[in-house]
Amino acid sequence: MDQMLATLLSPMVLFFVLGLSAALLRSQMTIPEAFAKGLAIYLMMAIGLKGGVEMSRSDFSLQVWTVLAAGIVLSFCLPVIAFAFLRWTSKMDRIDAAATAAHYGSISIVTFVAATQFIRSAGLESSGYMVAVAALMEAPAIITALILAQRGQKKAPSVAGSESGELYREVLLNASIVVLVGALAIGWVTGESGMERISPFFVDPFQGVLCLFLLDMGLSAGRGLRQGWRQLDFSAVAFGLYMPLVSAALGGAIAWSLGIQAGDTALLMVLAASASYIAVPAAMRLAMPKAKPSIYLTLSLGVTFPFNLAVGIPLYLYFANLIQG
Amino acid sequence: MHEKIRLELIIERMALKRACRILETAGVSGYTVLPALSGYGRGSRWQRDRDLSASQDMVVIISISDESPIRNVLLKLHELLDQHIGILNIARVEVLRPERF
Repeated sequence: MDQMLATLLSPMVLFFVLGLSAALLRSQMTIPEAFAKGLAIYLMMAIGLKGGVEMSRSDFSLQVWTVLAAGIVLSFCLPVIAFAFLRWTSKMDRIDAAATAAHYGSISIVTFVAATQFIRSAGLESSGYMVAVAALMEAPAIITALILAQRGQKKAPSVAGSESGELYREVLLNASIVVLVGALAIGWVTGESGMERISPFFVDPFQGVLCLFLLDMGLSAGRGLRQGWRQLDFSAVAFGLYMPLVSAALGGAIAWSLGIQAGDTALLMVLAASASYIAVPAAMRLAMPKAKPSIYLTLSLGVTFPFNLAVGIPLYLYFANLIQG
Repeated sequence: MHEKIRLELIIERMALKRACRILETAGVSGYTVLPALSGYGRGSRWQRDRDLSASQDMVVIISISDESPIRNVLLKLHELLDQHIGILNIARVEVLRPERF
Protein backbone atom coordinates (compact mmCIF):
# COMPACT_ATOMS: atom_id res chain seq x y z
CA MET A 1 0.00 0.00 0.00
CA ASP A 2 2.84 2.37 0.93
CA GLN A 3 4.58 1.46 -2.32
CA MET A 4 1.44 2.21 -4.32
CA LEU A 5 0.99 5.56 -2.58
CA ALA A 6 4.66 6.44 -3.12
CA THR A 7 4.27 5.64 -6.84
CA LEU A 8 1.07 7.68 -7.16
CA LEU A 9 2.68 10.67 -5.47
CA SER A 10 5.96 10.50 -7.39
CA PRO A 11 6.81 13.54 -9.55
CA MET A 12 6.67 11.36 -12.68
CA VAL A 13 3.08 10.21 -12.14
CA LEU A 14 1.97 13.66 -10.97
CA PHE A 15 3.39 15.30 -14.11
CA PHE A 16 1.58 12.70 -16.20
CA VAL A 17 -1.67 13.48 -14.34
CA LEU A 18 -1.05 17.20 -14.93
CA GLY A 19 -0.73 16.64 -18.69
CA LEU A 20 -3.75 14.33 -18.78
CA SER A 21 -5.90 16.80 -16.82
CA ALA A 22 -4.77 19.74 -18.97
CA ALA A 23 -5.73 17.89 -22.18
CA LEU A 24 -9.08 16.73 -20.80
CA LEU A 25 -9.85 20.29 -19.69
CA ARG A 26 -8.97 21.47 -23.24
CA SER A 27 -5.94 23.52 -22.16
CA GLN A 28 -3.95 25.02 -25.05
CA MET A 29 -0.68 23.76 -23.54
CA THR A 30 1.42 21.79 -26.04
CA ILE A 31 4.96 20.47 -26.20
CA PRO A 32 6.44 20.89 -29.70
CA GLU A 33 6.50 17.64 -31.67
CA ALA A 34 10.22 17.77 -32.48
CA PHE A 35 11.09 18.42 -28.82
CA ALA A 36 8.94 15.48 -27.65
CA LYS A 37 10.62 13.21 -30.20
CA GLY A 38 14.01 14.42 -28.97
CA LEU A 39 13.04 13.59 -25.40
CA ALA A 40 11.95 10.08 -26.44
CA ILE A 41 15.29 9.50 -28.19
CA TYR A 42 17.16 10.81 -25.13
CA LEU A 43 15.30 8.44 -22.79
CA MET A 44 15.88 5.45 -25.08
CA MET A 45 19.59 6.32 -25.40
CA ALA A 46 19.95 6.70 -21.64
CA ILE A 47 18.21 3.42 -20.79
CA GLY A 48 20.06 1.59 -23.59
CA LEU A 49 23.47 2.90 -22.47
CA LYS A 50 22.79 2.02 -18.84
CA GLY A 51 21.67 -1.49 -19.79
CA GLY A 52 24.75 -1.94 -22.00
CA VAL A 53 27.13 -0.89 -19.22
CA GLU A 54 25.48 -3.31 -16.80
CA MET A 55 25.73 -6.08 -19.40
CA SER A 56 29.46 -5.38 -19.84
CA ARG A 57 29.92 -6.19 -16.13
CA SER A 58 28.29 -9.62 -16.27
CA ASP A 59 28.52 -12.80 -18.35
CA PHE A 60 25.91 -14.08 -20.74
CA SER A 61 24.68 -17.05 -18.72
CA LEU A 62 22.19 -19.62 -19.94
CA GLN A 63 19.56 -17.87 -17.81
CA VAL A 64 20.08 -14.60 -19.72
CA TRP A 65 19.53 -16.35 -23.06
CA THR A 66 16.45 -18.09 -21.64
CA VAL A 67 14.93 -14.77 -20.51
CA LEU A 68 15.64 -13.23 -23.94
CA ALA A 69 13.94 -16.19 -25.62
CA ALA A 70 11.04 -16.01 -23.15
CA GLY A 71 10.51 -12.34 -24.08
CA ILE A 72 10.26 -13.21 -27.78
CA VAL A 73 7.86 -16.11 -27.13
CA LEU A 74 5.70 -13.85 -24.91
CA SER A 75 5.51 -11.20 -27.62
CA PHE A 76 4.49 -13.82 -30.21
CA CYS A 77 1.83 -15.38 -27.94
CA LEU A 78 0.20 -12.40 -26.19
CA PRO A 79 -1.62 -11.14 -29.33
CA VAL A 80 -3.32 -14.55 -29.68
CA ILE A 81 -4.78 -14.20 -26.17
CA ALA A 82 -5.67 -10.53 -26.70
CA PHE A 83 -7.30 -11.33 -30.07
CA ALA A 84 -9.37 -14.14 -28.53
CA PHE A 85 -10.58 -11.89 -25.68
CA LEU A 86 -11.48 -9.09 -28.10
CA ARG A 87 -13.40 -11.39 -30.44
CA TRP A 88 -15.27 -13.03 -27.54
CA THR A 89 -16.12 -9.96 -25.54
CA SER A 90 -16.35 -7.02 -27.95
CA LYS A 91 -17.98 -6.22 -31.28
CA MET A 92 -14.65 -5.47 -32.95
CA ASP A 93 -14.18 -6.97 -36.41
CA ARG A 94 -11.24 -9.24 -37.23
CA ILE A 95 -9.00 -6.45 -38.56
CA ASP A 96 -9.52 -4.07 -35.62
CA ALA A 97 -9.12 -6.92 -33.12
CA ALA A 98 -5.88 -8.10 -34.77
CA ALA A 99 -4.42 -4.57 -34.92
CA THR A 100 -5.33 -3.94 -31.27
CA ALA A 101 -3.89 -7.34 -30.27
CA ALA A 102 -0.57 -6.38 -31.92
CA HIS A 103 -0.32 -3.36 -29.60
CA TYR A 104 -0.82 -5.54 -26.51
CA GLY A 105 1.80 -8.08 -27.59
CA SER A 106 4.40 -5.38 -28.18
CA ILE A 107 5.80 -3.13 -25.44
CA SER A 108 5.78 0.47 -24.25
CA ILE A 109 9.34 1.63 -23.68
CA VAL A 110 8.15 4.62 -21.60
CA THR A 111 6.29 2.31 -19.19
CA PHE A 112 9.49 0.24 -19.00
CA VAL A 113 11.62 3.31 -18.27
CA ALA A 114 9.20 4.50 -15.58
CA ALA A 115 9.15 1.00 -14.04
CA THR A 116 12.97 0.90 -13.80
CA GLN A 117 12.83 4.13 -11.76
CA PHE A 118 10.14 2.78 -9.43
CA ILE A 119 12.05 -0.49 -9.00
CA ARG A 120 15.18 1.44 -8.05
CA SER A 121 13.29 3.67 -5.59
CA ALA A 122 11.86 0.49 -4.01
CA GLY A 123 15.46 -0.61 -3.33
CA LEU A 124 15.46 -3.46 -5.87
CA GLU A 125 18.04 -4.30 -8.54
CA SER A 126 17.30 -5.00 -12.19
CA SER A 127 19.60 -6.48 -14.84
CA GLY A 128 20.93 -4.59 -17.84
CA TYR A 129 19.90 -7.33 -20.25
CA MET A 130 16.22 -6.50 -19.58
CA VAL A 131 16.71 -3.60 -22.03
CA ALA A 132 17.59 -6.19 -24.70
CA VAL A 133 14.46 -8.14 -23.74
CA ALA A 134 12.44 -4.93 -24.27
CA ALA A 135 13.96 -4.39 -27.73
CA LEU A 136 13.32 -8.01 -28.71
CA MET A 137 9.67 -7.77 -27.64
CA GLU A 138 8.89 -4.81 -29.93
CA ALA A 139 8.32 -6.62 -33.22
CA PRO A 140 7.14 -10.29 -32.95
CA ALA A 141 3.58 -9.29 -31.99
CA ILE A 142 3.16 -7.54 -35.35
CA ILE A 143 3.84 -10.80 -37.21
CA THR A 144 1.33 -12.68 -35.05
CA ALA A 145 -1.28 -9.97 -35.65
CA LEU A 146 -0.79 -10.20 -39.42
CA ILE A 147 -1.32 -13.96 -39.28
CA LEU A 148 -4.44 -13.51 -37.11
CA ALA A 149 -5.89 -10.91 -39.47
CA GLN A 150 -5.33 -13.08 -42.57
CA ARG A 151 -6.29 -16.48 -41.09
CA GLY A 152 -9.19 -17.97 -43.01
CA GLN A 153 -9.36 -14.96 -45.34
CA LYS A 154 -8.49 -14.73 -49.02
CA LYS A 155 -5.03 -13.32 -49.54
CA ALA A 156 -5.51 -9.57 -49.94
CA PRO A 157 -3.88 -8.01 -53.04
CA SER A 158 -0.93 -5.75 -52.25
CA VAL A 159 -1.72 -2.07 -51.75
CA ALA A 160 -0.99 0.15 -54.77
CA GLY A 161 2.46 1.71 -54.56
CA SER A 162 3.70 -0.69 -51.87
CA GLU A 163 7.17 -2.19 -52.11
CA SER A 164 8.44 -5.54 -50.90
CA GLY A 165 10.19 -5.25 -47.56
CA GLU A 166 8.74 -1.85 -46.60
CA LEU A 167 6.80 -3.30 -43.66
CA TYR A 168 9.82 -5.19 -42.33
CA ARG A 169 11.95 -2.03 -42.61
CA GLU A 170 9.32 -0.14 -40.63
CA VAL A 171 9.04 -2.90 -38.02
CA LEU A 172 12.69 -3.84 -37.56
CA LEU A 173 14.36 -0.47 -38.19
CA ASN A 174 11.96 1.88 -36.39
CA ALA A 175 13.52 4.55 -34.17
CA SER A 176 12.83 2.69 -30.90
CA ILE A 177 14.66 -0.46 -31.95
CA VAL A 178 17.57 1.33 -33.66
CA VAL A 179 18.23 3.71 -30.73
CA LEU A 180 17.66 1.12 -28.01
CA VAL A 181 19.79 -1.62 -29.58
CA GLY A 182 22.44 0.88 -30.75
CA ALA A 183 22.79 2.51 -27.31
CA LEU A 184 22.84 -0.92 -25.67
CA ALA A 185 25.72 -1.99 -27.94
CA ILE A 186 27.61 1.31 -27.35
CA GLY A 187 27.17 0.98 -23.57
CA TRP A 188 28.34 -2.64 -23.73
CA VAL A 189 31.44 -1.79 -25.81
CA THR A 190 32.49 1.36 -23.92
CA GLY A 191 31.65 0.03 -20.44
CA GLU A 192 31.87 2.04 -17.24
CA SER A 193 34.74 4.27 -18.40
CA GLY A 194 32.70 5.41 -21.39
CA MET A 195 29.65 5.99 -19.24
CA GLU A 196 31.60 8.12 -16.75
CA ARG A 197 32.38 10.62 -19.50
CA ILE A 198 28.75 11.10 -20.53
CA SER A 199 27.00 10.58 -17.19
CA PRO A 200 26.45 14.33 -16.53
CA PHE A 201 24.20 14.28 -19.60
CA PHE A 202 22.65 10.81 -19.47
CA VAL A 203 22.44 9.96 -15.76
CA ASP A 204 21.94 13.10 -13.64
CA PRO A 205 19.15 14.82 -15.65
CA PHE A 206 17.38 11.53 -16.45
CA GLN A 207 14.54 11.78 -13.92
CA GLY A 208 13.80 15.41 -14.78
CA VAL A 209 13.64 14.63 -18.50
CA LEU A 210 11.36 11.69 -17.73
CA CYS A 211 8.99 14.07 -15.88
CA LEU A 212 8.94 16.40 -18.89
CA PHE A 213 8.29 13.50 -21.23
CA LEU A 214 5.50 12.12 -19.05
CA LEU A 215 3.87 15.55 -19.06
CA ASP A 216 3.76 15.26 -22.87
CA MET A 217 2.52 11.67 -22.64
CA GLY A 218 -0.28 12.89 -20.37
CA LEU A 219 -1.23 15.50 -22.96
CA SER A 220 -1.21 12.86 -25.74
CA ALA A 221 -3.25 10.41 -23.67
CA GLY A 222 -5.79 13.10 -22.75
CA ARG A 223 -6.13 14.32 -26.34
CA GLY A 224 -6.49 10.72 -27.55
CA LEU A 225 -9.20 10.01 -24.97
CA ARG A 226 -11.05 13.21 -25.78
CA GLN A 227 -11.06 12.54 -29.52
CA GLY A 228 -11.37 8.74 -29.56
CA TRP A 229 -13.58 7.75 -26.64
CA ARG A 230 -16.70 7.56 -28.83
CA GLN A 231 -15.12 4.63 -30.69
CA LEU A 232 -14.73 2.61 -27.50
CA ASP A 233 -17.58 0.66 -25.94
CA PHE A 234 -17.57 -0.73 -22.40
CA SER A 235 -16.06 -4.09 -23.43
CA ALA A 236 -13.16 -2.38 -25.22
CA VAL A 237 -12.36 -0.15 -22.24
CA ALA A 238 -12.61 -3.15 -19.91
CA PHE A 239 -10.16 -4.99 -22.22
CA GLY A 240 -7.69 -2.10 -21.85
CA LEU A 241 -7.81 -2.61 -18.08
CA TYR A 242 -7.88 -6.41 -17.67
CA MET A 243 -5.56 -7.38 -20.54
CA PRO A 244 -2.46 -5.85 -18.82
CA LEU A 245 -3.28 -7.90 -15.71
CA VAL A 246 -3.61 -11.12 -17.74
CA SER A 247 -0.34 -10.41 -19.58
CA ALA A 248 1.48 -9.47 -16.36
CA ALA A 249 0.31 -12.72 -14.75
CA LEU A 250 1.72 -14.65 -17.70
CA GLY A 251 4.98 -12.70 -17.54
CA GLY A 252 5.15 -13.31 -13.77
CA ALA A 253 4.57 -17.05 -14.21
CA ILE A 254 7.40 -17.24 -16.77
CA ALA A 255 9.72 -15.22 -14.51
CA TRP A 256 8.86 -17.50 -11.57
CA SER A 257 9.62 -20.62 -13.63
CA LEU A 258 12.97 -19.13 -14.67
CA GLY A 259 13.85 -18.09 -11.11
CA ILE A 260 15.01 -14.56 -11.99
CA GLN A 261 15.40 -11.85 -9.34
CA ALA A 262 12.45 -9.74 -8.13
CA GLY A 263 13.43 -6.57 -10.05
CA ASP A 264 13.71 -8.48 -13.34
CA THR A 265 10.45 -10.31 -12.61
CA ALA A 266 8.69 -6.95 -12.16
CA LEU A 267 10.20 -5.68 -15.43
CA LEU A 268 9.14 -8.79 -17.37
CA MET A 269 5.62 -8.33 -15.97
CA VAL A 270 5.68 -4.64 -17.00
CA LEU A 271 6.90 -5.50 -20.51
CA ALA A 272 4.18 -8.13 -20.91
CA ALA A 273 1.50 -5.78 -19.53
CA SER A 274 2.43 -2.66 -21.49
CA ALA A 275 0.98 -1.81 -24.90
CA SER A 276 2.85 -0.12 -27.73
CA TYR A 277 1.91 3.35 -28.99
CA ILE A 278 4.97 4.31 -31.02
CA ALA A 279 6.25 1.44 -33.17
CA VAL A 280 3.10 -0.65 -33.69
CA PRO A 281 0.65 2.13 -34.71
CA ALA A 282 3.01 3.13 -37.53
CA ALA A 283 3.42 -0.49 -38.65
CA MET A 284 -0.35 -1.03 -38.53
CA ARG A 285 -1.00 1.93 -40.85
CA LEU A 286 1.17 0.13 -43.43
CA ALA A 287 0.12 -3.45 -42.78
CA MET A 288 -3.58 -3.02 -41.94
CA PRO A 289 -4.68 0.42 -43.15
CA LYS A 290 -8.35 -0.56 -42.75
CA ALA A 291 -7.93 -0.94 -38.96
CA LYS A 292 -9.14 2.09 -37.01
CA PRO A 293 -6.37 3.98 -35.15
CA SER A 294 -9.01 5.66 -32.99
CA ILE A 295 -9.64 2.25 -31.39
CA TYR A 296 -6.16 0.80 -30.94
CA LEU A 297 -4.34 4.04 -30.17
CA THR A 298 -6.97 5.33 -27.74
CA LEU A 299 -6.93 1.98 -25.92
CA SER A 300 -3.15 1.63 -25.63
CA LEU A 301 -2.34 5.30 -24.97
CA GLY A 302 -5.50 6.56 -23.27
CA VAL A 303 -6.51 3.54 -21.18
CA THR A 304 -3.69 1.03 -20.67
CA PHE A 305 -0.74 3.41 -20.36
CA PRO A 306 -2.27 5.51 -17.51
CA PHE A 307 -3.51 2.31 -15.83
CA ASN A 308 -0.04 0.75 -15.91
CA LEU A 309 1.66 3.92 -14.73
CA ALA A 310 -0.64 4.59 -11.77
CA VAL A 311 -1.86 1.14 -10.72
CA GLY A 312 -0.11 -1.56 -12.72
CA ILE A 313 3.56 -0.91 -11.92
CA PRO A 314 3.16 -0.89 -8.10
CA LEU A 315 0.92 -3.96 -8.39
CA TYR A 316 3.43 -5.86 -10.53
CA LEU A 317 6.22 -4.81 -8.17
CA TYR A 318 4.22 -6.14 -5.21
CA PHE A 319 3.58 -9.50 -6.89
CA ALA A 320 7.18 -9.74 -8.13
CA ASN A 321 8.33 -9.38 -4.51
CA LEU A 322 5.80 -11.98 -3.46
CA ILE A 323 6.93 -14.44 -6.16
CA GLN A 324 10.69 -14.00 -5.84
CA GLY A 325 11.09 -12.26 -2.49
CA MET B 1 0.41 31.33 -70.07
CA HIS B 2 0.32 27.56 -70.61
CA GLU B 3 -2.26 25.07 -69.45
CA LYS B 4 -1.28 22.12 -67.20
CA ILE B 5 -3.03 19.80 -64.73
CA ARG B 6 -2.57 20.26 -60.99
CA LEU B 7 -3.06 17.20 -58.79
CA GLU B 8 -3.59 17.66 -55.05
CA LEU B 9 -3.60 14.61 -52.82
CA ILE B 10 -4.18 14.84 -49.06
CA ILE B 11 -3.13 11.50 -47.60
CA GLU B 12 -1.96 9.95 -44.34
CA ARG B 13 1.79 10.30 -43.80
CA MET B 14 2.34 6.54 -43.57
CA ALA B 15 1.12 6.14 -47.18
CA LEU B 16 3.28 8.99 -48.50
CA LYS B 17 6.02 6.77 -49.94
CA ARG B 18 3.42 4.61 -51.67
CA ALA B 19 1.82 7.66 -53.29
CA CYS B 20 5.20 9.06 -54.33
CA ARG B 21 6.19 5.73 -55.93
CA ILE B 22 2.97 5.78 -57.98
CA LEU B 23 3.64 9.36 -59.15
CA GLU B 24 7.27 8.67 -60.03
CA THR B 25 6.45 5.44 -61.89
CA ALA B 26 3.81 7.23 -63.95
CA GLY B 27 6.37 9.82 -65.04
CA VAL B 28 5.04 13.03 -63.51
CA SER B 29 7.64 15.75 -63.84
CA GLY B 30 7.74 16.54 -60.10
CA TYR B 31 5.82 16.99 -56.88
CA THR B 32 6.00 18.84 -53.56
CA VAL B 33 5.00 17.48 -50.14
CA LEU B 34 3.61 19.74 -47.41
CA PRO B 35 2.62 18.88 -43.84
CA ALA B 36 -1.09 19.22 -43.00
CA LEU B 37 -1.72 20.81 -39.60
CA SER B 38 -5.29 19.87 -38.72
CA GLY B 39 -8.69 19.27 -40.22
CA TYR B 40 -12.23 18.09 -39.87
CA GLY B 41 -14.12 15.31 -41.59
CA ARG B 42 -16.73 12.61 -40.98
CA GLY B 43 -17.80 14.28 -37.76
CA SER B 44 -14.42 14.43 -36.07
CA ARG B 45 -11.43 16.75 -35.89
CA TRP B 46 -7.86 15.59 -36.43
CA GLN B 47 -4.56 17.34 -35.84
CA ARG B 48 -0.84 16.85 -36.08
CA ASP B 49 1.22 16.01 -32.98
CA ARG B 50 -1.58 13.94 -31.50
CA ASP B 51 0.74 11.10 -30.59
CA LEU B 52 4.40 10.24 -30.67
CA SER B 53 4.10 7.63 -33.41
CA ALA B 54 2.96 10.38 -35.83
CA SER B 55 1.07 7.57 -37.54
CA GLN B 56 -2.05 9.72 -37.86
CA ASP B 57 -0.35 12.77 -39.39
CA MET B 58 -1.53 13.86 -42.84
CA VAL B 59 0.46 15.35 -45.71
CA VAL B 60 -0.43 17.17 -48.92
CA ILE B 61 1.19 16.20 -52.23
CA ILE B 62 0.99 18.74 -55.03
CA SER B 63 2.02 17.86 -58.55
CA ILE B 64 1.67 19.96 -61.73
CA SER B 65 2.24 18.10 -64.95
CA ASP B 66 0.96 17.37 -68.44
CA GLU B 67 -2.46 15.77 -68.65
CA SER B 68 -1.24 12.34 -69.78
CA PRO B 69 0.90 11.33 -66.75
CA ILE B 70 -1.69 12.75 -64.36
CA ARG B 71 -4.47 10.69 -66.02
CA ASN B 72 -2.17 7.65 -65.79
CA VAL B 73 -1.86 7.86 -62.00
CA LEU B 74 -5.54 8.31 -61.21
CA LEU B 75 -6.47 4.61 -61.26
CA LYS B 76 -3.52 3.63 -59.05
CA LEU B 77 -4.18 6.49 -56.64
CA HIS B 78 -7.82 5.43 -56.50
CA GLU B 79 -6.67 1.94 -55.47
CA LEU B 80 -4.39 3.48 -52.84
CA LEU B 81 -7.24 5.58 -51.44
CA ASP B 82 -9.39 2.44 -51.16
CA GLN B 83 -6.98 1.40 -48.40
CA HIS B 84 -5.61 4.61 -46.94
CA ILE B 85 -7.23 7.76 -45.57
CA GLY B 86 -7.10 10.63 -48.05
CA ILE B 87 -8.77 12.76 -50.72
CA LEU B 88 -7.71 13.66 -54.25
CA ASN B 89 -8.62 16.42 -56.64
CA ILE B 90 -7.29 17.67 -59.97
CA ALA B 91 -7.75 21.03 -61.67
CA ARG B 92 -6.67 22.83 -64.82
CA VAL B 93 -4.13 25.55 -64.03
CA GLU B 94 -2.00 27.97 -65.97
CA VAL B 95 1.77 28.12 -65.54
CA LEU B 96 4.30 30.73 -66.61
CA ARG B 97 7.18 28.45 -67.61
CA PRO B 98 5.93 25.21 -69.27
CA GLU B 99 9.43 23.76 -69.64
CA ARG B 100 9.50 23.37 -65.81
CA PHE B 101 6.71 20.78 -65.95
